[in-house]
Amino acid sequence: MRNRLKVLRAERNWSQADLAEKLDVSRQSVNAIETGKYDPSLPLAFKIATLFGLPIEQIFSAHDVVVQAAE
Amino acid sequence: MPRETSPKIISNGRRYMGNMAVASVLYTGAVFGGAFAIRNDDLPQWGAILAALAPLVPALLMLRAYMIFINGVDEFQRRIQSEAMLYSAAIVGFGSFAYGFLEEWADFPHLPLIWVFPALMGVWGAAACVMRLRYK
Repeated sequence: MRNRLKVLRAERNWSQADLAEKLDVSRQSVNAIETGKYDPSLPLAFKIATLFGLPIEQIFSAHDVVVQAAE
Repeated sequence: MPRETSPKIISNGRRYMGNMAVASVLYTGAVFGGAFAIRNDDLPQWGAILAALAPLVPALLMLRAYMIFINGVDEFQRRIQSEAMLYSAAIVGFGSFAYGFLEEWADFPHLPLIWVFPALMGVWGAAACVMRLRYK
């Protein structure tokens, strides 16, 4: 799964630790999500979407869906 | 020093270390106390059983400390711990199973069962470290 977490975080000048604190998770968790090594659960994904004030699909997208749309 | 994680998670880690330290002190006391008691030749069988099982009480406190810790970490950390436990169970389980056959059929030296649990914990810890590096 792809996500725009790093971009959105950078736009707000938040460090990974800042975001981790706001989401009540570890910095390592934020890093793993940003780098695509870990896909968050639905509740955490909604928490992230609420924090950034965006619909969930504007932050996360399935790689296959993106490829299909491009085709 | 940069913040690595949320204050809630830091406090959960500190509580875990505190609970584990208390359980470890009690465990050491139970092991030495049990070993001292078992030297007494007049100790009845039920006393020997009690002395032998005494370290299990603080060991259960360690398990309780770990369960409290796991309930306080985030989902990603919980996944790391779960996967590490799975690897540990597989490695130690199959390792001890294989060694059991070697003992029976290839005259390998007998190893006491008491080492299975520490091996499980040790491999679990090592696997968790490797998993953390993988996700770093």
